[in-house]
Amino acid sequence: MVSQRDREILRDDLRARGTKLSVEERESLLKTYLPDPAELGKKPAPTASERRKTRKTPIRTFLKSQTHYLTYAFTHIIFGIVVRLLQAYHAVVDRILAVVYHHHRTPELIRKDVKNLKRLPQHLSTILTLRKEDDALAVLMDEVAELAAWSSCAGIPQLSIYEKSGVLKSCIPALHQIITTKLASYYGTPSHQPILQLYAPHHPVHRSAPIPKNTDTTTRPPTLTILLLSSTDGRETLVDLTKTLAEMSQNGKLSPEDITPELVDAEISEITTLPLSMDPTLADTVLKPEPDLLLVFGPFLKLDGYPPWQLRLTEMYCTGGRSHGIIGDGEAVEYQGYMRGLWHFAGAQMRFGR
Amino acid sequence: MPGSLHMSRLRNWFLSSPPAEYAITSLKELLIGALQQGPVPQHVAFVMDGNRRFARSHGIETVEGHNLGFEALARILEVCYKSGVKVVTIYAFSIENFKRSKFEVDALMEMAKVKLSQMAQHGDLLDRYGAKVRVLGRLDMLKPDVLEAVNKAVDMTSRNGDRVLNICFPYTSRDEITSAIRDTVDDYSTPIQQDHSTTAASRNRFSESHIAHNIRAQTLGSTTLESHSDSESTSGSSGQDDDAYPRQDYADRVYGSMSSCSSSTTLHLGNQQDPKGSPPRTGADSPVYISPETISRQTLNDHMLTKGTPPLDILIRTSGVERLSDFMLWQTHENTEIVFLNVMWPEFDLWHFLPVMLGWQRRISKSRQDPNAEGNFAGDAKSNEEGPDATLWRQGGKVKDI
Repeated sequence: MVSQRDREILRDDLRARGTKLSVEERESLLKTYLPDPAELGKKPAPTASERRKTRKTPIRTFLKSQTHYLTYAFTHIIFGIVVRLLQAYHAVVDRILAVVYHHHRTPELIRKDVKNLKRLPQHLSTILTLRKEDDALAVLMDEVAELAAWSSCAGIPQLSIYEKSGVLKSCIPALHQIITTKLASYYGTPSHQPILQLYAPHHPVHRSAPIPKNTDTTTRPPTLTILLLSSTDGRETLVDLTKTLAEMSQNGKLSPEDITPELVDAEISEITTLPLSMDPTLADTVLKPEPDLLLVFGPFLKLDGYPPWQLRLTEMYCTGGRSHGIIGDGEAVEYQGYMRGLWHFAGAQMRFGR
Repeated sequence: MPGSLHMSRLRNWFLSSPPAEYAITSLKELLIGALQQGPVPQHVAFVMDGNRRFARSHGIETVEGHNLGFEALARILEVCYKSGVKVVTIYAFSIENFKRSKFEVDALMEMAKVKLSQMAQHGDLLDRYGAKVRVLGRLDMLKPDVLEAVNKAVDMTSRNGDRVLNICFPYTSRDEITSAIRDTVDDYSTPIQQDHSTTAASRNRFSESHIAHNIRAQTLGSTTLESHSDSESTSGSSGQDDDAYPRQDYADRVYGSMSSCSSSTTLHLGNQQDPKGSPPRTGADSPVYISPETISRQTLNDHMLTKGTPPLDILIRTSGVERLSDFMLWQTHENTEIVFLNVMWPEFDLWHFLPVMLGWQRRISKSRQDPNAEGNFAGDAKSNEEGPDATLWRQGGKVKDI
């Protein structure tokens, strides 16, 4: 730590655009704070005298390393206790919130929960993890269905689900069926249900029913667009784009100078929006390629291969992030966690009592 | 609160008194030394956000806020390098920041210039501690005098050792990714010409059957050749990659010429065609390229501005803004822990950094003990070893069960 007096001197020097102190003065000022080069582990050809100096204090070095080790163990024990206490506290708060804010599968209650929020994400994205149990896929699909139902009730029209392995992409029809069933349990009769469209990059759009053309847009039920993403839509997609561009360039169809951020952006966004725009009846429901909010249902904020290009300005929220990232089993997808994310996005704080 | 100003003055006076200063310094040293005992992240990135807001809330000038921010940076760099972090990347200036007021941009540039030229004056000190400074970003957007200072500092430290400070100066991540794509495309669309004339000349002397034999041998061996070059490129620098190209030359030549015949060439295609005995038309007059199919994530990685650095372990953004704002998108998107701290950058210190480091160390040592539980750091394994924690943990579980 630099002492107050020296700090003032350096500040004055900076204010004068580095003219106040000479090189030597500054160096002598700094010298007291520089560590012994021998301690850095990297010894650029130590001279004989230096070597002798480091060898002279074996006991002191030993004691020092032992103290450091003890401190390490001690801080980690303290840290562990604090973390566990925080976890216990947050677990209690979570349970209370879960009781207070329960959706009871009623769209009206969910709507009431988000009614006072200043802003809602237009495009919500979530990172889910496939667990290791036997029924992991069923659990995952149910989570997706719940998220879909909550989002549609809260009035979020676009939802994208990221799951690393991409297992969801292989069962789009089944998933569609499950989500429809879930929506029915929330909304009741099919006429009240939102129009659901489910797709993944390079997959066709799977839709519940053809949108009646003759009806007016005001009376039409809202649509819910769900996009499934996996790790292949991340770096791999950028690599594919590079391959295509390189081939084009080799064939003389494009010069490397033509590659601009705008071009890359257009190409990358097209991958997620193309299946929708191919259908002329859905021209008004084009997906916003950059999500507004990314909800991570995990113990700490890790992107885990999420498509990087789209994340430029996305706000991120981790449901397990309040306890320094160490929580027990993989964070479950729960309504109060979801709501907390939305409230956080709106800059609001969740309180006990609706 | 009326009393708070007085209290803070009293506190400042106390904290700046020599004994208190000494005690705090020793405590910090002790903690840093302790941090070294566990696993230490190799690469940490900081988004230095909140200088302006700090200045506004404390009623000082924006420029002064940036100066304080620089002090915070010096503080945290000391902590990082002392505890064994190899690479620190900081987001100093975004390309978008050019849109700020001219006064502020100029002041920031001036500060960068002064600091970098000061650093260049202490060349021998930098040499001794082996710190390497790299400036990442669109250097062409800088003014000539700033650019000169940048180049001088980078040149002076380029030979230095293992500690690296990456300064992202006019930088956005999308720009970086685009440049990486552009450079890769550029590399791949340069025909392999260097020793073309000599090999072509010598090849003409061989008989056709010999060439066919040669090609067969090459394509059969090319699977191993490719995997070999892959493993080499993962080991790091692009320089090695470049070395691999001439060796791959011949195989790629075959690919390249085939891709001019059929648009989609793969290895298997090459193997299938070969036994027919008709060697593919090598097309000596048309330019020959490396096949684009050999582009991998690693290729792009090696064209990023952060090439040659270990993967990013922790990214910290201060000031409570919870987005990346176009910083390190490519680098963070895999195993990086992203931490948003609700503290302004000028206030950022070891005390804020310590919990992040402890949490990271804890998780890493847990996952090392039990590699199967990666991503699922369940409490069972660890609750056995920690007596008092275990009971707490169970309490937590009970509460959860309600």
